[in-house]
Amino acid sequence: MDMVDRRGSRAATGHGAGEAERYEKLYAMLLDAIPSSVLLIDAQLHVVSANRNFLEKARLTESDTLGQRIDAVFPPLILDHMDLARRVRKAFELNEPTRGERMTYRAPGLTTRVYYYSLIPFAWRGTVEHVMLLLEDVTEQMRLGEEARRAERHVASVVESASDLVLSTDVDGRILTWNAAAERVSGYTRDEVRGRLFSEQCSAPHRALVQQEFARARSGREFGTAEWDLVTKPGALVPVAWVGSAMKDDLGRVVAIVVVGRDLTERRKLEAQLLQSQKLAALGVLAGGIAHEIRNPLAISSSAAQFLLEDPDAPEFRRECAAQVQAGIRRASVIIENLLRFARPGARTDVEPLDLASVVRDAAALVVNQAKIQQINMVVELPPDPVRVSGVLSVLQQVFMNLLLNAVDAMPAGGVLRVGVARAGIEGQVRITDTGHGIPAGEMDKVFDPFYTTRPVGQGTGLGLSICYSIVKQHFGAIEVESVEGQGSTFTVRLPLL
Amino acid sequence: MTVENAMIRSDAAVLIVDDEPGMCWALGHILKGSGIVSVTATSGQEALRLAERQRFRLAFVDAKLPDAEGLELARRMREADPGIRIVLVSGYFYGDDPEVLQATAAGVINGFVSKPFLHDEVRTIARAALAP
Repeated sequence: MDMVDRRGSRAATGHGAGEAERYEKLYAMLLDAIPSSVLLIDAQLHVVSANRNFLEKARLTESDTLGQRIDAVFPPLILDHMDLARRVRKAFELNEPTRGERMTYRAPGLTTRVYYYSLIPFAWRGTVEHVMLLLEDVTEQMRLGEEARRAERHVASVVESASDLVLSTDVDGRILTWNAAAERVSGYTRDEVRGRLFSEQCSAPHRALVQQEFARARSGREFGTAEWDLVTKPGALVPVAWVGSAMKDDLGRVVAIVVVGRDLTERRKLEAQLLQSQKLAALGVLAGGIAHEIRNPLAISSSAAQFLLEDPDAPEFRRECAAQVQAGIRRASVIIENLLRFARPGARTDVEPLDLASVVRDAAALVVNQAKIQQINMVVELPPDPVRVSGVLSVLQQVFMNLLLNAVDAMPAGGVLRVGVARAGIEGQVRITDTGHGIPAGEMDKVFDPFYTTRPVGQGTGLGLSICYSIVKQHFGAIEVESVEGQGSTFTVRLPLL
Repeated sequence: MTVENAMIRSDAAVLIVDDEPGMCWALGHILKGSGIVSVTATSGQEALRLAERQRFRLAFVDAKLPDAEGLELARRMREADPGIRIVLVSGYFYGDDPEVLQATAAGVINGFVSKPFLHDEVRTIARAALAP
């Protein structure tokens, strides 16, 4: 526009014809360089100028176009659709531009194109001389925009359709998004949780840990995996395994935190069933040792009773017999009590304060029978004071039972089984060391994997240690193994002290 | 019971091998009632040491000892003295346990007594073994 003005003004102030030609050329060059179609239309609706872009798009030549009325240049469809003649006349009358109108046009045999067009009157000394029609082909931009929106919708629907809980929070841990699975599992809609702290959606005992993980993520460090219970709207607890990651901007600053969670309810049910069958399997293994151990005191009591029936004379011997009967019965019933402590199906399943030393002592008391018949010397070292941890008794019993029976299994030709319970800083520690066949160095990282077993098919499920791992994790603890092939293994379980 | 004790009781005809002092007490008293002198060992090692120094006509051997399997101990005692009669006493095995039947058939043991037992069982076995 400026150039047109300038050209007009210079020509009018009487510069030479050469100068006018020079501006004409510059003007033509600029017009042709514009990646939009530009036409000048006069008051009689004739096209007086058309740039290269227009001619190429319209597949017209200059001679087809210049001096023609617009209805000879544009297809009738466009003319009607744009109502071009009326708009041009209006621009002449009002001397006001119209900008940014959109038009969709599909030429026969070509794909649909989308244009933005503007009509801009050119006035000189109060009179509108021409109206400039500017046509901009925005088909490509529209397509890109549409594609971006489609990709966005697709990602959104992937997140929505995920069976896992997917949510995001700001750097302070306040919830921004919350997908359908999160709504379904928690019972809270996204509107109800938006802006709330994610940690407050988790069960009270886990909140500090959640905040700790978020603080780590905020500082740009890896967000670990964890199992935190989600509190549902009706107030129930749902076990969920969470994985989080920090979302960073181009400068590497953490702008949000994305958290994905998997509902563990079904897995927990299966684990509970598995635990029960493991327990039964352990009882089967223990039965041999227990039978042997109970029949010894029974045999002694039985003999002592038979001596008494034979009516011996010596009062001292009679007393000795009676004492043997009593001691034998007491021993047998202690063994049965240990068995009951482990086997009783109605055992509590909730978290309670426990003495780690007594949990280990009870498990060891059952295993010692089995150890004895395999010529295994069992050394149990317990601290005098309780080692207080928080846990579910029946499942922790199973952890130590599994580890102890594994140790016994690793020593078919006898050996030493050391069991130690100790306090180590803020942790209670249980170490179980055998002098058995050990674990090959290459297999160390597999021992806690489900279905890893060294036993022949049918003699072990390979689930014992993976269950131990899962149980210890659920107790916020850790389980580790050290082993030298041919010399033995040490399993260490660490649990946070109360 | 130590080797020195065994030397003193060199007239003993029966060896009792059991890590349970109560079992040794019971078997010892049953035999004593029948006028049979016995010595006791509470481990496989001790039993072998005693058998090296003294010839026993009969041994009652527990199936599960802290340092040995009763059947393995029986094999070694028989190697040293093929004429000895060995009776396995156990709360671990049962009478028709395949391992027991096999050991009996192979001549490793001459009899089996399951815990708890009747005193007459033990007396009958001892008398038969010690009969001239």
